[in-house]
Amino acid sequence: MATMKFLCDTKRCIECNGCVTACKNENDSALEWGIQRRRVVTINDGVKGEASISVACMHCSDAPCMAVCPANCFYKTEDGIVLHDKDTCIGCGYCLYACPFGAPQFPQGGAFGARGKMDKCTFCAGGPEENHSDAERQKYGSNRIAEGKLPMCAELCATKSLLAGDAEMVSAIFRERVAYRGSKNAIWG
Amino acid sequence: MNKWFKHIGIAIALLFSVTAFAHDGADHADDAKANNGQIWSQLKAGAEGRTTSLSEFHAQPINTYDLRVLELRSDLLAPALMAALFGMIIIFILFIKVNGISKLHGGFSGKLVYRWSKFDVSIHWLGAIPCLLLILTGLTLLAGRFFFQPYIGEGIWSNLVYAAKQVHDYMAIPFMLGWALMTTLWAKNQLPKMYDVKWMMVVGGYINFGPFKGKHPDAGFANAGEKLWFWAFALFGLVISASGMLLLFPNLFEPSRTLSLIALVLHSISAIIITAFSIVHIFMATVMSEGGMECMVSGYCDETWASQHHNLWFDEIKENGTLKYKE
Amino acid sequence: MQLTRKSNAAPTVEKKTLGISRRQFMKQAGITSGGIAAASLLGTGMMRRAEAKDVPHDAPTEIKRTVCSACAVGCGLYAEVQNGVWTGQEPAFDHPFNNGGHCAKGAALREHGHGEKRLKYPMKLVDGKWKKLSWEQALNEVGDQMLDIRKESGPDSLYFMGSAKFSNEGCYMYRKFAAMWGTNNVDHSARICHSTTVAGVANTWGYGAQTNSFNDIQNANAIFFIGANPAEAHPVAMQHILIAKEKNNAKLIVVDPRFSRTAAHADLHCDLRPGTDIPFIYGMLWHIFENGWEDKTFIQERVFEMESIRAEAKKFPPKEVANITGCREEDVYQAAKLMADNRPGTVVWCMGGTQHHVGNANTRAYCILQLALGNMGVKGGGTNIFRGHDNVQGATDLGLLFDTLPGYYGLKTGSWKHWSHVWDLDFDWVKSRFDQNSYLGRIPMNTPGIPCSRWHDGVLETPEKLAQKDRIRMAFFWGQSVNTETRQRDVRDALDKMDTVVVVDPFPTMAGVMHRRKNGVYLLPAATQFETEGSVSNSGRSQQWREKVIEPLFESKTDLEIMYRLSQKLGFADEYTKRIAKDEKDVLVIEDITREINRGMWTIGMSGQSPERLKLHTQNWGTFSNTTLEALGGPAKGDTYGLPWPCWGTPEQKHPGTQILYNTSRHVLEGGGNFRARFGVEYKGKNLLAEGSFSKGAEIQDGYPEFTADMLKQLGWWDDLTAEEKVEAEGRNWKTDVSGGIQRVAMKHGCIPYGNAKARCIVWTFPDEIPIHREPLYTPRRDLVSKYPTYDDMQVHRLPTLYKSIQEKDSAAKYPLGLTSGRLVEYEGGGEESRCNPWLAELQQEMFVEINPADAADRAIRDGDTVWLEGAEGGRIKIKAMVTPRVKVGVTWMPYHFAGHMHGESLAANYPEGTVPYVLGESCNTALTYGYDPVTQMQETKASLCQIVKA
Repeated sequence: MATMKFLCDTKRCIECNGCVTACKNENDSALEWGIQRRRVVTINDGVKGEASISVACMHCSDAPCMAVCPANCFYKTEDGIVLHDKDTCIGCGYCLYACPFGAPQFPQGGAFGARGKMDKCTFCAGGPEENHSDAERQKYGSNRIAEGKLPMCAELCATKSLLAGDAEMVSAIFRERVAYRGSKNAIWG
Repeated sequence: MNKWFKHIGIAIALLFSVTAFAHDGADHADDAKANNGQIWSQLKAGAEGRTTSLSEFHAQPINTYDLRVLELRSDLLAPALMAALFGMIIIFILFIKVNGISKLHGGFSGKLVYRWSKFDVSIHWLGAIPCLLLILTGLTLLAGRFFFQPYIGEGIWSNLVYAAKQVHDYMAIPFMLGWALMTTLWAKNQLPKMYDVKWMMVVGGYINFGPFKGKHPDAGFANAGEKLWFWAFALFGLVISASGMLLLFPNLFEPSRTLSLIALVLHSISAIIITAFSIVHIFMATVMSEGGMECMVSGYCDETWASQHHNLWFDEIKENGTLKYKE
Repeated sequence: MQLTRKSNAAPTVEKKTLGISRRQFMKQAGITSGGIAAASLLGTGMMRRAEAKDVPHDAPTEIKRTVCSACAVGCGLYAEVQNGVWTGQEPAFDHPFNNGGHCAKGAALREHGHGEKRLKYPMKLVDGKWKKLSWEQALNEVGDQMLDIRKESGPDSLYFMGSAKFSNEGCYMYRKFAAMWGTNNVDHSARICHSTTVAGVANTWGYGAQTNSFNDIQNANAIFFIGANPAEAHPVAMQHILIAKEKNNAKLIVVDPRFSRTAAHADLHCDLRPGTDIPFIYGMLWHIFENGWEDKTFIQERVFEMESIRAEAKKFPPKEVANITGCREEDVYQAAKLMADNRPGTVVWCMGGTQHHVGNANTRAYCILQLALGNMGVKGGGTNIFRGHDNVQGATDLGLLFDTLPGYYGLKTGSWKHWSHVWDLDFDWVKSRFDQNSYLGRIPMNTPGIPCSRWHDGVLETPEKLAQKDRIRMAFFWGQSVNTETRQRDVRDALDKMDTVVVVDPFPTMAGVMHRRKNGVYLLPAATQFETEGSVSNSGRSQQWREKVIEPLFESKTDLEIMYRLSQKLGFADEYTKRIAKDEKDVLVIEDITREINRGMWTIGMSGQSPERLKLHTQNWGTFSNTTLEALGGPAKGDTYGLPWPCWGTPEQKHPGTQILYNTSRHVLEGGGNFRARFGVEYKGKNLLAEGSFSKGAEIQDGYPEFTADMLKQLGWWDDLTAEEKVEAEGRNWKTDVSGGIQRVAMKHGCIPYGNAKARCIVWTFPDEIPIHREPLYTPRRDLVSKYPTYDDMQVHRLPTLYKSIQEKDSAAKYPLGLTSGRLVEYEGGGEESRCNPWLAELQQEMFVEINPADAADRAIRDGDTVWLEGAEGGRIKIKAMVTPRVKVGVTWMPYHFAGHMHGESLAANYPEGTVPYVLGESCNTALTYGYDPVTQMQETKASLCQIVKA
């Protein structure tokens, strides 16, 4: 079975934020103002060596969020996609502390500014509810994986910097890109 | 442990183009390689950048920390808290079965001596009731997924853990209040004295066999065991409150994610210690020491109980005339 | 490999089995009741539009092919429509321009189907309150006021601000509307966008457009960006740029005062001082001539008067250039060497080059650089001028400008006669619509109108100084946001002073809200381009037929319908739509408009692009190569995608379109060409025609003038015309022969209809024959003013224009910081539409100014502080400071998309209820200052001065 991964080619990322709004567009039903499942970060901003990287949930093979969750609301699909059950989530925020990528986010609300149900990138694979059900759409957004499509952010990437798909395929594409960059054999894809 | 590093490594490798793949690159890409390596090491070091996202921590692509923290929680702390609660209960039950309880010599006198004010009793319970709830809910939050979830239905589990979180959050406030009041108001009576050493040597005279049998060591207002509990409670209560505040009000204190994880570990360790002591304390007061419970119900204790368990204090109040009986 | 959809069966998601829990139930209930609450907030009288979440997932899906409405790259996408609601957006991996890629704006297009903050119905400001009107009442009132003003002050007291967002058909009909009304006071945002490019470039070699295509950049070995930042303004163009970088190891050179996101990918970044483009180019040319790197054969055969340039370049040795521009001598040398060593190279410029009071000269300087290097008319070369709005190229082509009729015919009587002929109207009737008097020696019908950049001067200036009867008393702001114009305080005064303000737009826009009026403002809701259909031209001159995705939301109407209804009210509908059929609902048949465009647009070869051909291309975009843009097979085999003009002759002649202009290596019938013979055959006794250079297969193997009926006769080719063609062609030329016969015959003999000439380095009709460096009006370098002074004050068309009298005053002492402006990737233009899109607005919530850490430290300003920025004319804005090394010391930069605050106060209360954009902010143009190009009236937004203090 495939193991789904994202890969961001920093040589191509131009911080156009297309991936960010693509995600907003596709998962609109589940997102609210202030929750960005994906973001682009530019380091060394404004100086030589500036590089931009698109970051979201990386769907880690052994995900720290899964390990730390008190409610054990995370689960992994056969494709290696890390998903979570918002009905079980208690909004404690531990996954946010544990995640190296800052992927989990929480709507504010409740006493003491308590966190609401955690939200994060689903690799456009919805959640535990029935595929394409209203409940799934309202809690998690779209389910492109069930339609045989890849996540919207990668599909709409302006410069094909952000890749998504099976880890082996994605790294093979990237490896080839790097090997031939700047030579006549360069590939584009 | 290495497993964690390895898997995170893979995830990160797939995230960024600046990894080892670059070393396969064509010859003319030397500059790029150097540049790549530089970016990669910056990212690994937790470099922050600019982003249009206003969400917490989003300016930092990678936050690295020692991933053993996660294993520590699941493999060590969770079972330890289970042991602190259920293990201690089992040990105590066994102990009582073997040892029996500490009876009052000559039974209750019927004369009740003033020991705690109404206010003291209230702050005790202000701390104690939340503490019990916190222990139970905290146990659910730390260890529930390993020890309870597999045996109950998903719906029940999600309700349980949600309730645990809510109760835990709300009970934290009275608990901290109780802790603060008890610690500051009671500390005077809890200062260690020389006779506390002797008390310790015979384990307070509670043991009904061997060389300890029949001993009645001296004790003041508080005996050495109670003092130990008090100071442990004061210290770990502080740790648990401080770390709890960080976790409860992340917006107020804006801790780093790593600090939050450390707080989580300290919170668990403190919880284990306080839980273990609490079990001892509860058993001592309710079962082990006949007449002990009365103190925190009415604030008065039986005269026999006072002279048997806190002889120096009883002598002192008799002498200075502060001895007060219940009418 | 491309990211392709997975063809295998959908992988199943492992699911936990759980019944609905109590809390789940509660949550669901919560969602439902929340929905009802939201619905009731919409208020009475407003129809509730269906939203994506109301549509069941399995409702039947229609797929529409549409084109992004942001910049001019022309990215295609598939819109999924279910039950009439735009429910999904899918990437068009098979689209030749973007291969499925989109930037933030393109990826957020579906929000157009929500339109939450749109204007919902016609409205009118009555005693400071917005009042709902019916369409009939609104058009009646507006029409009556137009007629009253016409009676009192003549037709020129009306101003028609148009839009680069119209379809080609909309642009054309808007220009025609102004013509039928009888004024040239019509313009749109190209005035403040690439007007200087159009003038400068067209006067160099014939046409003022991007010479190559986005895809062709893939063939470049060097890419020179000056005043361009595609990573943020044209992100999908970066796809092609990075292909060149990866495949050809192309060198990227970025010349920009700011270390932009594009510079991050560059081999060389030169941070020149704003407003010193010309010295920089001369600095490069100095090295090129000094080292003999110029293409001598190319210059000898195809370039006129490079000698003047060579002489001027001598005045700019490295030291002088470094002193003026602030760039290192070494960097200027490297830029020249990289361009010389890596040919073909392309030059890309945008607003950083054009928006200067010497904009036309800047653009000519860039062209001259390419001419010297011999990079014109070749694959991977050319001047790739990226345009900023989805149809700003089309709007320019179709004459939505103050100085020309469609097709750059100009305003001469002959031009009017040509278009009257196209329209099937009597020229005298058309003429009678205009003011027949002359003012300051100028005849209104033949004098350019008042420009988009300065309409407010047309309101505020005393009538005696205007070359028209009276000042502007009423204006339409049709799809144009006035916050993009400098001197916002004057804009506000002008809005206050007019009799009536009419906004026709999907949103209220600044013209509707920034004034201090209590009465006399009309807001008419226009549909977006996704709610209508029509053709759209991208920056590379390719046209696409945009399909209608959804019906107009709320009570909005399409641009064409509003124009048509208004013409009915004004009484010239019959003439206006003489050749255009109406359907059973009295709606104009849009294809007929396209055909009328084809009938008149011979100059630029927009004549062969029939609606049928355009639709065929769009429906088969997957058959076109994403490298060559050509279709190797399929129904449009042999064509170039979108039939980039010139697509000569009639549609029946099946010209494939011209991807690369002036490319002599191709036959004209395959898209070949050469420089246009537009400026006569000789100047001061020197030959202007090409020498020994001609396009492939041309029977005249040397330079030749443009084709006329007489020339055909002289060549003995007259009888190649059919009898019908002869009737139309007699006495006409290639531009005015509406049969297309002259063009057909010229091409049959391998000749380009417009002749074969040299490109010229001197433009004798412009204030400066060659590009001359002139310091900005507000310059921080007072020491250079005497050596490089600006122009004397002068009258440009209808308006007096100031130069020297502004530059004379020393503003640099009080305002020491350079000020320049630009784009953010999330927003577009004035930003009214994109700031109403929550997916975009969330990413940029505050207006800011970029300031160098050194300048910030001097002022004790920290990143994120609130500051007051005061422009050199005293306009003050309250914004956030972004302290960043992106800008060099002494330069500040602001995005221009914000509006809705003025002098620190919010204008939110002025919006009709429910239309306040998600994000408001100060317009940078409140602080920006005077300065206009003498040829095109382009505004100066890129080199001004300011001071910043902590608020």
